[in-house]
Amino acid sequence: MSYLRFPLAAFATLALLVGLPATDSHAQERTKIKYALGDVISIDELPLLVAAERAKKRGVDVEITSFKSEEVATQAVINGQADVGQGTPYAAIQKVNVPIRFFYQMSALQFFPIVNKDNYKDWKDLNGQEIVVHARGSGTEAIMRLMAKEHGIEYKNVSFVPGSDVRALGLIKGTIKASILDATNRNYVMKEAPGKFIVLPLGKVKASDEALFATRTFLDKNQAAVGILVEELIRVTREINANPKSILEERKKLGLLKDIPAKLEAEILPYFEEGVKNGIFPNDGGAANAAQNDLDFFKLSGSIKGDDLKVEDFWFLAPLKAALGKLK
Amino acid sequence: MQRPGIASSTLFWQLASFALFFGAWEIAGRWPVSAAFPPFSATFLALLEMIGDGSLGKAYLSTLQPLLIGVAICGIAGIGFGISMGLSRTVEWLTLPIFIVLQAAPMAAIIPLITYLYGIGLTSKVLAVIFMAAPVIVMNSYKGIRNTNPSLIQMCRSFQGSRRQEVVKIILPYAAALIFTGLRLGLAMGFIGVVIAELLITPTGIGDLITYHSSVADYPQMFAAIASIIVIAAVSLHALERVERRLFPAEIRGS
Repeated sequence: MSYLRFPLAAFATLALLVGLPATDSHAQERTKIKYALGDVISIDELPLLVAAERAKKRGVDVEITSFKSEEVATQAVINGQADVGQGTPYAAIQKVNVPIRFFYQMSALQFFPIVNKDNYKDWKDLNGQEIVVHARGSGTEAIMRLMAKEHGIEYKNVSFVPGSDVRALGLIKGTIKASILDATNRNYVMKEAPGKFIVLPLGKVKASDEALFATRTFLDKNQAAVGILVEELIRVTREINANPKSILEERKKLGLLKDIPAKLEAEILPYFEEGVKNGIFPNDGGAANAAQNDLDFFKLSGSIKGDDLKVEDFWFLAPLKAALGKLK
Repeated sequence: MQRPGIASSTLFWQLASFALFFGAWEIAGRWPVSAAFPPFSATFLALLEMIGDGSLGKAYLSTLQPLLIGVAICGIAGIGFGISMGLSRTVEWLTLPIFIVLQAAPMAAIIPLITYLYGIGLTSKVLAVIFMAAPVIVMNSYKGIRNTNPSLIQMCRSFQGSRRQEVVKIILPYAAALIFTGLRLGLAMGFIGVVIAELLITPTGIGDLITYHSSVADYPQMFAAIASIIVIAAVSLHALERVERRLFPAEIRGS
């Protein structure tokens, strides 16, 4: 038997020796980015999904994992279980001694202050009144406080009810009189109770809603892969800004989010059309401008502290600059 | 009575175990196991700071409200239910399954249902406490009644005692220890219920301190808030256990 085994073993060893480097070099061509999302994947993630599909064709596998909240996603990046996170954890970046930097702005904040018409007509009426926002230290609170400052008013009380959908229900039920909602839920309350609510005008509030961040080590070690992801994200965003309908075509072509309910499917186009109109998807990934706006905004919200806040302590702009250079 | 030598050595080992635990925590924080994991010293300082600026006291005032209301309701209605279940087969048949189901149901999954029905106010939080605490209070009262020593009941009957006397003089005093244990365990579950409610419904009280400090990455403060509720729950349960030991002799406690 042994004479039979020997050639087999020799053949197996040879196959391994030949095969191993081949598979290894194949693996080196592809890079995996573990992407931590602090939310369920829904229609607003379509640009990301499209960019991920395109990056895959260029050898970068973006593996998206949904976490319960942005904080959990941030922890995943801090502790090295994820490479890239999505959100705006400015506070964590300032306080944790792991150098994490933002490198791309996906979208700017888009919120709508909504009041019950029977009680209030404009910002001045909210003086001395109770308002409801998402959470203490959240973007929604910062927007409402910024507006109070701009209009010279002071709220009696700011309560916290997490979730735009929960606040929308509260407004409809009448338990909440003044709040702030995202686009989807604003449309929902306006449809459910036509003529009952007014959207108060919002001045120039410019801050990131979703931005990408990673550790400096990861960004330095994976320049090519990060570059490809950023390039594809910019491309998709530019296509959407030029024609919001393009995202519908891409979704169909790539077979993305196939199992969403028809009601949600109908919201895709209005969501992107409105976003484009309000300019929330930057053609240039936000860059230094977005960074500076964020520092001002998140300082006001109380997330970050200090007088000498520098963009380079929060953002690493090189990958974005490189990608923009390639796309011009 | 413990001899002074034993008492002081017990104290020594208790202090040593605390020192070991906090020491390990300090090392884990400095090592660090995670960039977001604060050492014990930073957490303790954050705790002092939160006590000093009054934010912790304010938070507890708001957290204790649903907890005390919920436990009080369970204490009155739950014990009543448990006793009637123990005494009457019909009540047992009607209600026992509800409490067994409640005991097995994962609370974090049920709380969103409560908010659909009762909104996001105090009522929902009180209900969360009741859902957690009621089963254990009811079941303990019920079992206390059911497990009354049958020879004592036989004795009462052979002395021509009426049903009323049997309940008031034999069954209730015998079940009192288990009922009290139920209350203590109910309070423990109530602590869990109120924190889950404050984290899942609307962030108020201690739940607000935990979510807020986590969202602005003040990890020492966040850990201090969590540690404080654990300490308060542990200390109050320990105190109740001591009261229980004083009130009921070991043979009734079943230990």
